Amino acid sequence: MRLFAAALCAFALAAQAQQKEIKIGFIYDVSGPFAGGGSEPAQIGTKAAIDMFNEKGGVMGYKINAIFTDAQSKVDVAINEMTRLVDQEKVDIVAGVYSSAQCVPMVQQTESRKKFLWLNVCIATAVFKDRKLNYVFRPQAHSDQFGAWSCDYINYYAKSKFHSEPKNLRVAIIHEDGPYGVGVAAGNESQCKKHGMNIVLKEGYSASAPDLSSLVTKLKRARPDVLLHTGYNPDITLFLRQAKEQGLRVKAIIGHGAGHSQIDKLRQTFGEDVNYFHSIDPAAGQLLDPKTLKPGIWDLTQEMVKRYQAVKGPGELPPHVSMGFNNTWILLNDVLPRAIKQYGGFDSEALRKAALDTDIPVGGTLQGYGVKFYPPGHQLSGQNERAFPVVMQYVNGRARIVWPREVQTTDPVLPFPKGHSFAP
Amino acid sequence: MSDIFDVYLLEAVLNGLLLGGLLALLSLGLNLVFGVIDVVWICYAELIMCGMYAVYYLHVQYHWPLVLAMLAAIGVVAFLGWLLHQLVIRPVLNAEPINQLLVTGGVLFFLQAAATLAFGIEFKNLGVTLPSVRLGEMSFSAARLVAFGAALGGVIALWIFLSKTYLGTAIRAISQDRAIMPLMGVDPGRIFALTSALGGALAGLAACLLVLQYDIHPAIGLSFGPITFLICVLGGLGNMLGGFVAAFIFAQFIAVGGFFFAVEWGYVIAFIFFIAVMFWRPRGILGK
Repeated sequence: MRLFAAALCAFALAAQAQQKEIKIGFIYDVSGPFAGGGSEPAQIGTKAAIDMFNEKGGVMGYKINAIFTDAQSKVDVAINEMTRLVDQEKVDIVAGVYSSAQCVPMVQQTESRKKFLWLNVCIATAVFKDRKLNYVFRPQAHSDQFGAWSCDYINYYAKSKFHSEPKNLRVAIIHEDGPYGVGVAAGNESQCKKHGMNIVLKEGYSASAPDLSSLVTKLKRARPDVLLHTGYNPDITLFLRQAKEQGLRVKAIIGHGAGHSQIDKLRQTFGEDVNYFHSIDPAAGQLLDPKTLKPGIWDLTQEMVKRYQAVKGPGELPPHVSMGFNNTWILLNDVLPRAIKQYGGFDSEALRKAALDTDIPVGGTLQGYGVKFYPPGHQLSGQNERAFPVVMQYVNGRARIVWPREVQTTDPVLPFPKGHSFAP
Repeated sequence: MSDIFDVYLLEAVLNGLLLGGLLALLSLGLNLVFGVIDVVWICYAELIMCGMYAVYYLHVQYHWPLVLAMLAAIGVVAFLGWLLHQLVIRPVLNAEPINQLLVTGGVLFFLQAAATLAFGIEFKNLGVTLPSVRLGEMSFSAARLVAFGAALGGVIALWIFLSKTYLGTAIRAISQDRAIMPLMGVDPGRIFALTSALGGALAGLAACLLVLQYDIHPAIGLSFGPITFLICVLGGLGNMLGGFVAAFIFAQFIAVGGFFFAVEWGYVIAFIFFIAVMFWRPRGILGK
């Protein structure tokens, strides 16, 4: 009888120990083209954040049981993995997701199941716009902001750097034709038009197209001053290679995250030709001025850099590491504890309420932005209204923040200097 | 209307011609194998991917001279072609075509997954850029010019081999009547193995030229596999001349269609043309 009681007790303890965990299913692409376009760095950043929490005992005593799945850079695989995580693994939260093409259909599925979805990387505004989502939240900036930022940037420097009125600037917009590229390009077009700029070409293409030479020819004919480009990989390298071979000349090339933010890879391919290129993304944490951040945040950045470099070796950290780390950190450090403390657990309803209460001021996260989600009823409900991207410029493989002025760490080099491969 | 016919249109046409050369080279090996063995290597583009990795590792990691690395890569892929035949194709030679398709489809996924495990997901490239060739305001990729020349050379060399040598004659004979040739002393097994190695070598040659223009990653085959297959079908599966012609037609639709309309429309027009031809000539442009 005593033995039975002891066994029962042990079973109860084991059961309790098992319950003391929070299961989070992360979906990233660690194979296929998205992996090298930033998804793998985002996963490494996410793992670093989870390890740091688990090393200090988890979240309020709950160990984080992270299940990582590979979406293989395919939409259908991402949806299947999400279904498996929810139905078979019984995760409490679904998170991660790199590609907007995966996010757009996925939110519909998680929403109908009332499963809490926390998006770390994908940026398409279409994920949220007018969809009245209740259980989907994204601390990341959205594509309309990316698109507007590049136009604001060139508008600001039109006279001082390009020696031209904004209305005289010829702008070309090219983009991959998924929700990410289309979303950013729409933001580009709308904002550049507001500034009165002359849009000489706007065109989408498939990220897996084996040839972009006719697009380059059309760009040559359109003679833009500034090229705004949104793409993944390998389309960006294919385009740049063909653009160089065909002699495309522009005064500035501004990319919008993804492949354009993988500067180490671009340099491996193009060497000095990618000097003075730009990319727009939420700031890579390590590039920010520590003085602009709340106390303790910079130490976190240092730890993230250390852990990433332990995996991948030295080199420039792409912003996607910060996206994976920072946005996971916000979930674990802010939303989850509040859900447990104030709303009695971490079911979707508690998490939703806790997320809506989030109120982190600017400077309070590793990427510099604050967090407050648009409330239900807003056309972007669930999107972080305090997120913003920055414009980075690469010089000799090092990224510098050149816009907005408030967080600028150096003056931009515009237009391409004489002798640059793409300079007119 | 007159300003449409500008120098940029000419550039688009010439770029289409160069793209055609690349696609023709890609279709050559696949057509040869189908024409002789009657099996479609769905995994053909993945063999090319293996060749690209071979060039990369031999040249960049082991510092072999580029030409030597390319020759070795052609040998490696020729061996892979032979191995594919011995291990995968031979057991299903007399099976239903759908089974043969499925089995080479399985090899496709196997090679992609194996490459991911062995080489990682990083995009790799040689870091070699050939100079551009300028013609007034027009500028062309030297790598594509080389590919164009290699495609032409490959077709001519293959034609000479098939029509002027004993082995070539045996290959053609087997492709025409698989049943009767053993009675005349030709060993079909040896001919099939040789053809597979030759098909692999052509994939290796394509790899050597693609590696000068594209990043290498495990999924690179997805960019070329479907389009190569379509070109072979458009020209007439197994008909090397048909594949050659189809590649240039297809490429012109992509290049010129993409010039006059959006880039994506170039592909749409090319595929519409493909569907129309399939209605008109289900066996392809030069298919019998």
